[in-house]
Amino acid sequence: MSFAAIRDKVRAGEPLSLADGVALYEHPNFIEVGTLANEVRERLHGDRTFFNRNMHINATNVCEASCMFCSFARLKVGDEGAYTMTHEEAWGRLRARVAAADAITEIHIVNGLHPGLPFDYYTELLAGLKRIQPAIHLKAFTAVEIFYYAKKYGMSVAEVLTRLRTAGLDSIPGGGAEIFAPRVRKKICDDKCTADEWLDVHRTAHQMGLRSNCTMLYGTIETVEERVDHMLRLRALQDETGGFQTFIPLAFHPDNNALMKLPAPTGVEDLRTYAVARLMLHNIPHIKAYWIMLGVKTAQTALWFGADDLDGTVQEERIYHMAGAETPQVMSPAEIVRIIRNAGRTPVERDTLYNVVAEGAALASDKPFRRDVRRSLEVVS
Amino acid sequence: MSASATEDSRPAAVAASAALAALDLFALGRQAAAARDARWNRRGFFTRTRDPEAQPIVPFPFTNGESDAERLARLATIAAAVPAPWGVMPAPVGEPFGLDTLRCFALCRLALPQVPHLLADVAALGPRLAQMAFGFGADEIHAPIVAERALRLGANANNPALTRKEAVTLIRGAGLTPCERMADGSLQEVAP
Repeated sequence: MSFAAIRDKVRAGEPLSLADGVALYEHPNFIEVGTLANEVRERLHGDRTFFNRNMHINATNVCEASCMFCSFARLKVGDEGAYTMTHEEAWGRLRARVAAADAITEIHIVNGLHPGLPFDYYTELLAGLKRIQPAIHLKAFTAVEIFYYAKKYGMSVAEVLTRLRTAGLDSIPGGGAEIFAPRVRKKICDDKCTADEWLDVHRTAHQMGLRSNCTMLYGTIETVEERVDHMLRLRALQDETGGFQTFIPLAFHPDNNALMKLPAPTGVEDLRTYAVARLMLHNIPHIKAYWIMLGVKTAQTALWFGADDLDGTVQEERIYHMAGAETPQVMSPAEIVRIIRNAGRTPVERDTLYNVVAEGAALASDKPFRRDVRRSLEVVS
Repeated sequence: MSASATEDSRPAAVAASAALAALDLFALGRQAAAARDARWNRRGFFTRTRDPEAQPIVPFPFTNGESDAERLARLATIAAAVPAPWGVMPAPVGEPFGLDTLRCFALCRLALPQVPHLLADVAALGPRLAQMAFGFGADEIHAPIVAERALRLGANANNPALTRKEAVTLIRGAGLTPCERMADGSLQEVAP
């Protein structure tokens, strides 16, 4: 199908097909694809660009799965670099933020598939965080983790989610989707849940009233068709449940893992993937440019290629940094506001569920970048 | 250029400057890419052996927060140079932002029609942003071309060198035909 015909479909609000998505990936002019994605982005959100104040806790990197793209996991307790936080250590991260009067609204928790921890470790982790900060939103455990807990502890997915929810779970992050194509999963992540199982965890969560995000890992060995197929499967579930809030394309980082001979995706490939995602996923409200993984400059540019969200202030991200990400581990709200304004967009601080926390004059004022962030802006492409 | 000629061209330059400044990012990028393509027919260049005497490159320092008008005024000085430089290379000073950098590239291409080459410097921009600059008027990637890729780890993390294959991948990925400038100055398109 010609680009003009695809543009007509987009403007008429018609869902794009697999062939349309592939054609967008193969269109020689990425600016044209970006322009169309930006049209949709501005139709949905105008200039508004979202971010939140959050922190990450990766409580353990001990993981039974041996995904080839992962630099974070350690197979066994005692392996070099393996760690598991005590509850006190994990809670201490939040206490430190509270003591610093840092008004975070969300904790993002993602872990390895630790074979030796009791289920209570996770419920108590959540409950303790809620005791410290009852209003904090806990976005925790990927579908891969939840499916693993169900199998390991002999419960249904719904039972796992119910118990986690009772302990304080508020929503589910989108990680672990990787690429749904069985051909690719067999080669790069054969020992974690299947695509259908991943989708079913999210379906169950949505049916229980939980919101979630969704992701796609791109840049390993998948084809363009497999990327678009991945998006279509997410779109189909969204048609069914409406529970996804945000789609986050995740670029493969090649350092310190078994796929280190592969090149990283290029900048244009990043922008094109954001643009195609915005055009294919008409029913998912937000597209997030995760600055930790993309780098600040590319993430900012993605705000004109379909993305409307920069994620948050983060702090202590480990998964991508162990894979070679050179971004800082934290940005202040003022720094994020400045990046968004410099892009000609209007910053809006949100909570996890996209309720507005602050905008306009109520937002943090501009201030000079700290030295570590300035350095990262100079080196990260 | 005579004083009267300068006086006469000023209103036109101001009008042109205002017209460019009014364009959004994509419109500016499209015009700049079209200007590049009119001259180079969708080719993107790289070179292993640069001859600085035959191919003088003028750096164009730019700082985040400058207006288009300020940049266009400084570009007018380069535009007036006789003979025109072989190439211009935008050089960020301080904190470059992605979008600001791409806009700067487009302005350079449109304000310097007599300058053949607009170079994207991998050392200053990183390979990702340098590649994006091809969508905004750049026609050449500027980086040492090395025989073998070294892993970019530790102290080598920011090594700007590219292999020939990486340079070709970046140019082709931006939708252009990669073209190598050989030591004798001839141009050789790289077959897919």
